[in-house]
Amino acid sequence: MRTVKLGIIGLGYIGKIHLRHCFKIPNVKVLAVADVSTKALNSAKKDGVKKLFNNYSDLLKDSEVEAVIIGLPTHLHLKCAEEAAEAGKTIFLEKPMARNVDEAKEIISVAQRNSVKLMMGYPMRFNEQFGSIKEQMEKGLLGDVENAHATFISSGPFFHRAEGYTPVPVPDWWFNKELTGGGVLVDMGSHIINLMRWYFGEITDIRSYLGYRFNMDFEDSAMCLAKFGSGTVGLINVGWFSQQYSLKLDFFGSAKNVNIKHSPSNQLAAAVQMLITGKSKFFQAYVDELRHFIDCIINDLSPASSGKDGLKDLEAISLAYKNQISLK
Amino acid sequence: MSVVSFTRIEGSNFKKAIEDSLDLLGYSFDKKIQNVVIKPNMCYYWDFSTGQTTDPKFVAALVDILREKTSVSDIAIVESDASAMKCKYAFRFLGYKKLFKDYNDVRMINLSEEKSEDVTVKCNGKLYTFMVPHVIRNADLKINLPKIKYTFKGIELTCALKNVFGCNPYPLKFEYHPQLENVIVSLNKVMQFDLCIIDGNVVSGIAPRKLELVMSSKDPVAIDAASAKIAGLNPRTIKYLKLASREGLGSMDFVPRGESLSQFKALYPKKTLKKKLMGSAYVWAFRLKLAKKLGIG
Repeated sequence: MRTVKLGIIGLGYIGKIHLRHCFKIPNVKVLAVADVSTKALNSAKKDGVKKLFNNYSDLLKDSEVEAVIIGLPTHLHLKCAEEAAEAGKTIFLEKPMARNVDEAKEIISVAQRNSVKLMMGYPMRFNEQFGSIKEQMEKGLLGDVENAHATFISSGPFFHRAEGYTPVPVPDWWFNKELTGGGVLVDMGSHIINLMRWYFGEITDIRSYLGYRFNMDFEDSAMCLAKFGSGTVGLINVGWFSQQYSLKLDFFGSAKNVNIKHSPSNQLAAAVQMLITGKSKFFQAYVDELRHFIDCIINDLSPASSGKDGLKDLEAISLAYKNQISLK
Repeated sequence: MSVVSFTRIEGSNFKKAIEDSLDLLGYSFDKKIQNVVIKPNMCYYWDFSTGQTTDPKFVAALVDILREKTSVSDIAIVESDASAMKCKYAFRFLGYKKLFKDYNDVRMINLSEEKSEDVTVKCNGKLYTFMVPHVIRNADLKINLPKIKYTFKGIELTCALKNVFGCNPYPLKFEYHPQLENVIVSLNKVMQFDLCIIDGNVVSGIAPRKLELVMSSKDPVAIDAASAKIAGLNPRTIKYLKLASREGLGSMDFVPRGESLSQFKALYPKKTLKKKLMGSAYVWAFRLKLAKKLGIG
């Protein structure tokens, strides 16, 4: 099987995760990386990456690079994706796709014009536990899912962690609504809305209640009530206010209820797991989504989460912002 | 001998608890003071409900007392930028800006952006030079409002003395970690606070818990020693407390006043053997350069 020569644009939190995972996939070679941080580039060099760029445009000019992972701040997605598409590179774009629906449409348009594949980074669709619910639903084991609760709560940028327990500086763009397109609903809500759409089809209506505990001009918590094409009503609960990470699904079907909790292993278990297998169960979905991306390139397949998915998620988020409710 | 007072907060009435605490201490404010510096504890952007940061409502209660009992016209709530925290966000996220928006005499000061002067001090036989912000140097009264917290092996506990570390305007504070004990004590020598009042309403421990405690003292070493005891630690095994005592910042011996220390100690969420072992394993993982391999570095 041939090896895909990859470039990674942006070596922040998610870019570093992708770089590390690429080394675990046999038919991938990370040929080049681009970042404005010399420290990040030097670290990638130590890991064996040969071509280092402090400007992603230069990376995109490299004809040896056939595909790129874009893990930049959200406001840079459109311009970078445009350049990548025009350079003919296959694109893996981190969520959220863009700051707004218009930018997302432009990204899809430029990818189509240049006939390049565009995959959105939504690792939850590759999570084994979440996949098992999908299988059960498809087999009819749950009956009709009348309602579904999805919760994704963490500390978000208010206590930004890498995998360990040492907080790292949070880049300023995180706190600028103009650059992010919104708050937690864009950041974590896009994950959950994408996942729920995967299970229940398109959102036909959505209402939101937004919280502002941290006194910023963007929401740090959001509860959305959404109706899906399947008829299921979903409660989407996302927040950046807790030091405890919670990601869980509760589906209530006419035949059976299921609940799944996905959480990081405790430190000791995770360390033992890493020592023995070299793999983190928590991050396995990230590895699997990259494998799928590479598979799509080698075997000319359509990505499981496309640009259209990224757009649909942003459309739902946009509608949720529009349909806010207030509580006294 | 230094006095440390212990007061229980009744019905979330911070103001009364602080007043009672200061009465037990025999402390009264000088009515003539004009400029006051208050240093709460802000740690990253952690919410006060986690016990990791001083409750802004606790600060507000102190501000109200100062306004009532003195002729203060300028109250500076101070913090400095740190490796992973910026004051411009911390004051907003943690609720200070909102709470004090109508207080014309209260300013939120980022010490990293303030005028300062270099001051050299000898500590543990070595010379250290730090920037001392003018706002601290010129204050009539400096009040330290720390939290009692466990920290990494070697330092073990952070409270009043460590809170002054946040008055150092230099933002890349992680650079001090290899010599943290000397740095903490040196900074307390160049910026001596007049009064320490601990917000022990919620303490972090190994997991947050409501302790409803206010502790006060004029001696930062004494109040830290008392805090160590509440957290189940022997203060005499904490190196920087011993150093602070040797360097003349205070005494580890103290006279307790008010409520019994032991009742708060019994409630404090203390380190378990498992946590202690995990802490040691964590340190060794880094020393043996295994952290990255284990997914924790």
